[in-house]
Amino acid sequence: MSLQAPPWLAGLGYSELRRHELRKSRMMMVDGSLTQNTRVSEGGTSARVYRDGYWGFASTPATSAAAAEKVAHRAGQNAQAMSRFGARAAYSLPEGHYRGEHVFRGKSTLAQQEIVDRLSALHAWCQQRYQGLKSTRLVVGDEHHSKWLSTSHGGESLASIQRALCQVTFIAEGADGAPVELTETLSCKGHLADLDWSLESLAPRLDELHTHLMAKCQAVAAEGGLHTVVLAPPLAGMLAHEAMGHPCEADIVLGGAVTGGLLGQRVGSELVTMLDVAHTFEGAETMIPVYVDDEGTPARDAVLIRGGLLTEFMNSRETAARLGVTATGNARAYAPSDEPLVRMRNTVILPGTTALSDMIAGVDNGYLLMKTANGQADSTTEFMFGISLAYEIRSGRLGRAIRDTTLSGSAIKVLQSVDAVSDDMHWSCSGYCGKKQPMVVSMGGPALRARAHLGGQ
Amino acid sequence: MDDHTSLRDSAEQALAWMKSAGFDHAQAGVSQSAMTELNITLNEPSLMRSTELRKLSLVGLLDGRRAATELGALDEASVREAIAQLFMAARSAPQDAANAVSCGQQAQIERGPAEADAGLLADKVAELLQFRAQETPRMMIEEGTASHQRQDTHLLTTGGSELRCRRGWYEMTAFGSAHEGARTSSFNVAAGTSAELASRPAPDWFGIGDMLRDTSQQVDTRPLDRKFVGEVVLTPPAVEDLLGWLLGQLSDTALISGSSLYRERVGQIVAAPSLGLRSRFEVPGVAPFTADGFAPGSVELLRDGRLLTLLPRLYGSRRTGLPHVPVAEGGWEISPGERSRGDLVASVARGAVVGRLSMGMPAANGDFSGVIKNSFLVESGVVGTALSEVMISGNIARMLQDLRAVSRERIDTGATLLPWLQIGGLHFS
Repeated sequence: MSLQAPPWLAGLGYSELRRHELRKSRMMMVDGSLTQNTRVSEGGTSARVYRDGYWGFASTPATSAAAAEKVAHRAGQNAQAMSRFGARAAYSLPEGHYRGEHVFRGKSTLAQQEIVDRLSALHAWCQQRYQGLKSTRLVVGDEHHSKWLSTSHGGESLASIQRALCQVTFIAEGADGAPVELTETLSCKGHLADLDWSLESLAPRLDELHTHLMAKCQAVAAEGGLHTVVLAPPLAGMLAHEAMGHPCEADIVLGGAVTGGLLGQRVGSELVTMLDVAHTFEGAETMIPVYVDDEGTPARDAVLIRGGLLTEFMNSRETAARLGVTATGNARAYAPSDEPLVRMRNTVILPGTTALSDMIAGVDNGYLLMKTANGQADSTTEFMFGISLAYEIRSGRLGRAIRDTTLSGSAIKVLQSVDAVSDDMHWSCSGYCGKKQPMVVSMGGPALRARAHLGGQ
Repeated sequence: MDDHTSLRDSAEQALAWMKSAGFDHAQAGVSQSAMTELNITLNEPSLMRSTELRKLSLVGLLDGRRAATELGALDEASVREAIAQLFMAARSAPQDAANAVSCGQQAQIERGPAEADAGLLADKVAELLQFRAQETPRMMIEEGTASHQRQDTHLLTTGGSELRCRRGWYEMTAFGSAHEGARTSSFNVAAGTSAELASRPAPDWFGIGDMLRDTSQQVDTRPLDRKFVGEVVLTPPAVEDLLGWLLGQLSDTALISGSSLYRERVGQIVAAPSLGLRSRFEVPGVAPFTADGFAPGSVELLRDGRLLTLLPRLYGSRRTGLPHVPVAEGGWEISPGERSRGDLVASVARGAVVGRLSMGMPAANGDFSGVIKNSFLVESGVVGTALSEVMISGNIARMLQDLRAVSRERIDTGATLLPWLQIGGLHFS
């Protein structure tokens, strides 16, 4: 299926025409009851026009040629209508176009019955194996985007993104009688059929989850303040995304983020190298492969930090024009009715050479942070993320579990304090990034040892 | 035939196809929406965006088994295909006697302006940019919007429910940070919905002007030099975090899983006597119907600190045996107090005025710790420097009980009408 832009559209200035299909499914089973069993399918056609320094955008749920004609016309009218705010010089948007198709060919999708049967079996297995759980919550889902794009720069492309996830949450009763919960999340590129959530695969992970939950039931409050912390690999990915990723998005930089004045300067220790990968990492396709962005720009890796030095930002065509650099292919739109914004793709801190066990052994008094729930960034690079599983480290050995807490700090200070980077890696693509629109992204990283603030008493 | 007749026809047709497909009970809702949005980027008007959306939402029950789907394509082939898939999905779901559709609900609601006034939207953008340039020149509005949205909905169930709604509303948002040379504040945001925007200048809506002024004073910040236990005066945006946690505790997932702290507390004092909380589902921007097909009446949740009800949906109610209390997605107000917000701040011995809480998901037991953003140190009742890298920790259930005062001023964002709250016993670090 191809997408034909009306021939007159190119005459309006820079323009894009996009047809976008989005399908999502989600099931949630709470204690054996299927409380959510939903499929969503939406689609539509959108157009965006850059004319005389202003943008116009329009979208419709229809996907016919007539719909394309209609939204293209409307987008042009909208750009024209912005002239009421006065004449304005237009930026010369970077050239570059992409022609090609990238569609992930995974396994055949699972039948609904099989998914329900597997959820029921998983629930029964958890009930039988883990006595004393107050509740078990299981969530599975997948999400599939297909985008046909035609641009006035000559781009013609079809790009797809698919991801799947499985979450298992155990709830127990803490020593004080209050509920204590912990979640294990698996994610992958593709459909649920591509995700290994078999009992055989999950069993060791859930045994570990249950052991941690029992420890958390006896957890103590963290000591608030600045500490040496070892961030397990899943947290380093979050650090990459939240702490330095957002302040390296060029629209945030143009908005005055402190990173804007730090190009070429040291923002991390020499052990820290961080990228926003377009589509391929160490020879393998990433979880969220972006070969072409939603402006038709051929996507390339953005090397944000190399050896601790801030090197470049993630750009759309317009931010690249404003900053006088090349576009990196980071302009992405979430839904069929959304316009492209500067967004991350696969943000990663590269692994180092130290074993995680040695990193823990080297801490006299600190914390091992193992699981995170969510995070937020700031233009100051001050970040926070929720910590749902962590342990004390005392004299190089793990101690008591600590209650839910929050990690925060200035990303630059934290990255500058990194004195060890582990030799292993963890990737995930289960969450959403929020910035006017949601977005599917992946994040990855090794374990890091650094100094940061923990919330607590 | 007007648009609404068309929506009703689509819902009726879908329901008929579901019945003929073999569903025992079904719900079909059709909605159509349109948005006109003017965008500000980096202190300049940047984009005009027009979107149209259409959605058919179907819920089918078969022998106590349930499945749901949403689709954007409303042609016969697409709908019939979706119904066939829905039937298979329902057939494979486990039986659950708690599944049901609404019965006998009847409502017809029209509220708010049906058509966008693009000139008004442009005026609001211009007013906001002029205010920024003249009153708060340090501010960079990274993203701002002025928009109008219209949504028409028609929902039918095999239980005889028919809910019809046509609503329109305006919305404004401003998001940005302040800058002076290389120094920068944290970002801040203000937003809200209203039936009209013409009666006041743009900065006077939803606390936008106050947000721009406060943020302009947060370029120079400092961290705390030591830990202490103190008080906070939470601004309305920070109060929203407490409200969100409480509502989650009273709703289906927490009630069904047993993780709610309040499951057995109805009729008991769970908060300070100065706290009152009730619904305001009738405001523009709040959907007047629930997703499971009910037109909620008004709900009083807390009176003088006493919990009056839990909030299970139809499913949660049937699953737990608790009385069903339909609530909309948003639309809550906290009763005002008698003291001014200035008085609240003046009575703080040591603590902070908290503009925004940046925190992870609070634990099920209410434990939380978070970074306080857009916040000022308060010592001996005097507002001092803006803060950075400061965290507070505590327990939200405890905070509701430790509430010391409620301000008489409130900010109305449409979906919420919230005061400032003074609360003690927080750990600062």
